[in-house]
Amino acid sequence: MIPAISGFEALTCLGDAEQTFQALCRGESGVSPLQRDTEQLGVDYAYEITADFQGRRASRWLARVVQGAVKAAGIDPAATRVAVVVGTGLRELPDAEWWWVDGDSMNLPDLHFGAAVRSVLPEAIEVLTISNACAASGYALALGADMLAAGEADAVVVAGCDSVTDSMLAVMGRGSPVRSTSVRPFDTQREGVLLGEGAVAVVLEPQERLARDGRPVLALLHGVGLTCDAFHETAPHPPGIAQCMREAHQRAGISPAEIDLVLAHGTGTALNDPAEADALAEVFGPAIGQALVTGIKGAIGHTSGGAALMALVVAVQAIRDGIVPAVLGLAEPIPEAGPLGLVCGAAVESRPQLAQVDAFGFGGVNVVALVGAAS
Amino acid sequence: MTPYPLSDSIDQSTPIAVLSYAVHVPGADSWATGGAAIDGEPMCSAEEAQSVLGRKGLLFKEPATRLAMCAVQRALGLPPGRPAGPLPLADRTAVIVSSNLGNLQTVCSIAAAVRVSDFHVVSPLETPNASSNVIASTIAIRFGFTGPNIMLCNGATSGLDAVRLGARLLRAGRAERVVVVGAEPEDEVAQALAKSRDPRTSPDRGVPALRAAASCVVLGRADSPAFAEGTALLGAGGVLPPGSAVDQILPTDFRGLMFVPYGLSPRVPAADGDQDRVVDLTERLGETYGALGVLQVAAAAARLTSGEGTDQAYAACGDAIEGYAWLSLHAGTVTT
Repeated sequence: MIPAISGFEALTCLGDAEQTFQALCRGESGVSPLQRDTEQLGVDYAYEITADFQGRRASRWLARVVQGAVKAAGIDPAATRVAVVVGTGLRELPDAEWWWVDGDSMNLPDLHFGAAVRSVLPEAIEVLTISNACAASGYALALGADMLAAGEADAVVVAGCDSVTDSMLAVMGRGSPVRSTSVRPFDTQREGVLLGEGAVAVVLEPQERLARDGRPVLALLHGVGLTCDAFHETAPHPPGIAQCMREAHQRAGISPAEIDLVLAHGTGTALNDPAEADALAEVFGPAIGQALVTGIKGAIGHTSGGAALMALVVAVQAIRDGIVPAVLGLAEPIPEAGPLGLVCGAAVESRPQLAQVDAFGFGGVNVVALVGAAS
Repeated sequence: MTPYPLSDSIDQSTPIAVLSYAVHVPGADSWATGGAAIDGEPMCSAEEAQSVLGRKGLLFKEPATRLAMCAVQRALGLPPGRPAGPLPLADRTAVIVSSNLGNLQTVCSIAAAVRVSDFHVVSPLETPNASSNVIASTIAIRFGFTGPNIMLCNGATSGLDAVRLGARLLRAGRAERVVVVGAEPEDEVAQALAKSRDPRTSPDRGVPALRAAASCVVLGRADSPAFAEGTALLGAGGVLPPGSAVDQILPTDFRGLMFVPYGLSPRVPAADGDQDRVVDLTERLGETYGALGVLQVAAAAARLTSGEGTDQAYAACGDAIEGYAWLSLHAGTVTT
């Protein structure tokens, strides 16, 4: 079964899904000074949603994008078996920190997103929260597609959300050799990763449902590969990444030569970027130069659990509009990225038909998705 | 290696078996675990985990992670110590862990320490623990499992959700074997948050204290080489939203073995003379939250394969605020 994407919505430091895509195409960055104690945390910048510092931020953003995506898809939740799978890196741990340190209110079930989803989608037949680091929403995508293929739901909303925690910022501050001012994927002058915030939701449905209702297919999800490096707790491992790409291609029944756009994970770190570039070059072989390669973390930061679906939505928009945003912050590619067709400088007009989306997380969790034009 | 079945849809009738299981609940006896533990088994505490896992690789590993690794080690039937070489099927083994509170103490402690000092107080060795998927990835690294690696943090229903998800991964051809784990700690931060639960989750009884516990069930397709006749098979399962009535959660005409959510056992009439037909593991152990569903499935597998004659089991976990998950199991003679 190849599920259709029937709706999506996102919220980033640059706005909603369409505002974010327009800003990406214009080459705008959402980076700003971190709205926390930078000396305590050792981090100076982030891609935060600065207009909103009340509690339960990720929960409220998630509710908003789930509602938006369901509305965009045009489904009636009361007459449809809708399941929801949420991928997150940090859950509501920001609020747990404020509960422990400042005495703010917190209830145990607030750690996950069941209630947040049910606040806007009370009819949901099932809500799952998966905490799979920076690959989380990509894992949600795969599991959502499996639920559809198993006939357990008529539609699945797959989503991702995260807001920053003090603990993760401090861990990054401790581990970073330099204090980064922006994310520069695949660039020789990269300074390291910065966190981004936001939420994203995508609706998957069988193509037949859309045809029956006369609703448009926005894109097709050809396959998703899931692997784990089982190698290192925080560092990526090129063989594991390459294996994940191959698994995605195999499940989708496509060859790398058919892929004309790659939304790379591209975190602007010494650990990810060379490893990802090597894996792409190895798996694509001679076809690597034919695909455009871009990434979005220079503009919206590393949105953690939401990252995979944020990139997937941009891939769908690029296919729809025939324009591929450039990698913001990329001036001089690292040597490993030499064979890659990186989009550098300004957005390019192109007509991609099949895109690969990469996301890799702490613990060696990998996801690679293939999304294509509605044929 | 078996090729992926790249079929168009996922066949829900593919039988899924519990190939092996182990519970690891320090200080519990067999009765308290619903028969899943054997009295005299070495269910060591998290601090003593080296007796099961060996000395190496335990530095900065949180209690829930240690207990989870002990449960996996024992469910796989491995001798004490780190596995010497690659395990069979490791590249086709998926890991699903259900836990909600495993890294809460680390996260809150780092946040508190940074507030009074700065980021220099954080040990780089704590870094993996700031990410909520640390238990699942630690198991993958220790045992070399390179299949899908999933951390489910879905609250009170998470344990049975994880088992159902494991069955779906197998049916989708994403793995040949799935190691499903439930694990929760009982540290002071987790205890404090557990106390915040809505009292409606356990009317008339008060909110029970957390009990550190882990459980592992290994799932495979019932046509796998590791399948033995008589092994417990998974049946139907599902979820029910918050506010569901007791007779929706627990089937009224069911006469088999029943594992019930906390506080619901008095609502089920026990069969004559069989006090052990209806089992409330929370009543026996304390609150095991995200681990409960996996403990229930291990106990159900133990009873279904014990030769006592029980051939049907039903498990439900969850509460009135978060909703419920349920799963039926039966002693397996496969007819495929």
